[in-house]
Amino acid sequence: MGCLEGDCHFNNGNLMARRRVEQAQKILDSIDIGGERVKMYNLSSSEGPRFAQYAAEFTEKINALGPNPIKLAKNKAAVDPATRDMAETN
Amino acid sequence: MIVADKKPIEEIIEYLKDHTNILVLGCNECVTVCEAGGKKEVAVLASTLRMHAQKEGKEIKIDEVTLERQCDKEYLDEIRDVIDQYDAVVSLACGVGVQFTAEQYHSTQVYPGVNTCFMGATEERGLWTERCQGCGQCILATTGSICPVSRCAKRLFNGPCGGSTDGRCEINAEVDCAWQLIVDRLKALDKLDEYEKLCPLKDWSTDRAGGPRKVVREDVQQ
Repeated sequence: MGCLEGDCHFNNGNLMARRRVEQAQKILDSIDIGGERVKMYNLSSSEGPRFAQYAAEFTEKINALGPNPIKLAKNKAAVDPATRDMAETN
Repeated sequence: MIVADKKPIEEIIEYLKDHTNILVLGCNECVTVCEAGGKKEVAVLASTLRMHAQKEGKEIKIDEVTLERQCDKEYLDEIRDVIDQYDAVVSLACGVGVQFTAEQYHSTQVYPGVNTCFMGATEERGLWTERCQGCGQCILATTGSICPVSRCAKRLFNGPCGGSTDGRCEINAEVDCAWQLIVDRLKALDKLDEYEKLCPLKDWSTDRAGGPRKVVREDVQQ
């Protein structure tokens, strides 16, 4: 969450944050984790209801996307003895 | 400075597919300034590689070190005690650093983590442009401090070619004609008579035409 663009106490802090979020999205896309798992929203400090709306919206989106692939791989390794043994050997 | 650009992560992942102990090695000099291979980029690349490995269910160890320079033995010596822990190094230094690291540590595979591009300047953050090709025989004194070797597509030495239009180069309308820049600068310096002087044939043996080059300075040798 950042301030509205053009209305940031730190002048361009939210614009820099936006670029960093975009960069994080590209990195997550490049390793097939999914850039859509990160998103930046802008709103002012007086917009409580909108904050709640964004939080609910993104929670719904993340739930729809399912667990992140890293977690899935770790869970799989934990239950798959062959994979777990291989990991322990390494 | 030497300007480099990030390599696609897919390319680096492909290099590293058979390695399990990896050192991501940054450089505090030029590649830090052009935001391609400094401490910050080392951390981002190492995190990305870790996430990728975890997603693939692969157990790997990835460490991060950023040296002051990778083109000096004294700084490369700082990893001498730990280098044997790794079966691969991804160097985020320029091509010089990658090669010099590999020369010091023969038994460790060293991969390039950036594409080394040119010697240039920072016009603004995120925009670097070429200024020098290291031709070994600088003529900037006669060209208003603008280099026709690096900035003219044809490396012309005595004025522009016929493709110069409205101060732009024929290879790309966004590229300034180096000779237009030179004439404008000489005018501003009130030295336009310099433009009339023919530049003699250049000895290209000091450029790449003479093969790999070296500078020997006996006055500073020990």
